[in-house]
Amino acid sequence: MGMILEKLPGITKGMPGGDLILTTADALIDLGRKQSLWPMTFGLACCAIEMMGSYAARFDFDRMGVIPRASPRQADVMIVAGTVCKKMAEPILEIYHQMPEPRFVISMGSCANCGGPYYDSYSVLKGVDRIIPVDVYIAGCPPRPEALQYAFVKLQEKVAKMSLKRGLATPQQEKGSRDLTA
Amino acid sequence: MTQDELLAKMQKKFPKAAKTAVQVKDYLTVSLPSKDDLIPVAAWLKKEGFDYLDMLTAVDYLGPVDMKGYIRQANFNVFLPEGAAPQAESAAVAGYAYRPVLELVWAFVSMKDKARIFVKLEVPRDAARAPSLSGLFKSADWQEREVFDLFGVVYDGHPNLTKILTPDFLQGHPLRKDYVHIKDRYDE
Repeated sequence: MGMILEKLPGITKGMPGGDLILTTADALIDLGRKQSLWPMTFGLACCAIEMMGSYAARFDFDRMGVIPRASPRQADVMIVAGTVCKKMAEPILEIYHQMPEPRFVISMGSCANCGGPYYDSYSVLKGVDRIIPVDVYIAGCPPRPEALQYAFVKLQEKVAKMSLKRGLATPQQEKGSRDLTA
Repeated sequence: MTQDELLAKMQKKFPKAAKTAVQVKDYLTVSLPSKDDLIPVAAWLKKEGFDYLDMLTAVDYLGPVDMKGYIRQANFNVFLPEGAAPQAESAAVAGYAYRPVLELVWAFVSMKDKARIFVKLEVPRDAARAPSLSGLFKSADWQEREVFDLFGVVYDGHPNLTKILTPDFLQGHPLRKDYVHIKDRYDE
């Protein structure tokens, strides 16, 4: 709350006499949205260890409003942390569709970006963006917790530019997730 | 009981079981002449105290890997000129006995004697069949399914010999040397 109040004077205009402030709906909604990006709790491979490190005391993701949720129905962000096997592709799509809109995806590490060292494998999906739209990619194998936090900062910048008039979807989301039955 | 004593005891019962030239680590390694001997040998070992099936697996002794199934770009060094010799090559090792067989391996453990014995059996690649040990050892169930999934060995008498690891749409047995990947809906 302290964070919001500190930033409020810049984007709102206090009315004389108090009690009322003037702001735009976009500014207020985006402010709330970007300060509480709740990720879905799931990890696929070694990148998940770095993700857990980000949540823990040393890097303390909570201070950025990033609080892991145990259900996709309460989550805003999906951190795809690790190698996506072809067998795991369908559960990931299912989780993605269970998340309420607006939803964002962070692709963490080389494996989730493009298959990484397992590019020539028979069982690894060559990038999670083949099935779901990705908002932010993080390079690294695995990326440091700071890199994941930087990705959230970048995602916050992206969320701050969202507007109700333009719709809730980002350009990546307009593309849509992949229809596996097609 | 030392390894030699165990081998002598085993050969008294199964004269055709021979000690292999190359052992698995320091453990007694025995090769069986035919797959009909497997069930009697396993039953005898279980009776002798080797009542824990540690693991079972298979080894493919066909020659070098066909890279087609695994590597799209054999020459991954982009700085080499066009038509340069591929860097990723699976070459034959001179003097190695390549042969079209799958070698099946079982490891039995005796908790009482703190001993382990490896049993090997060679089956032809094109008709890889072996009797299932799942009737004697429950732990053989899933591991035989895994070997069936990845190597294509059919275990006769297995109650539920279906895929266990690879997704349903994957065709072929990926750990076979001659496996060539068939593109599925996730490869574009």
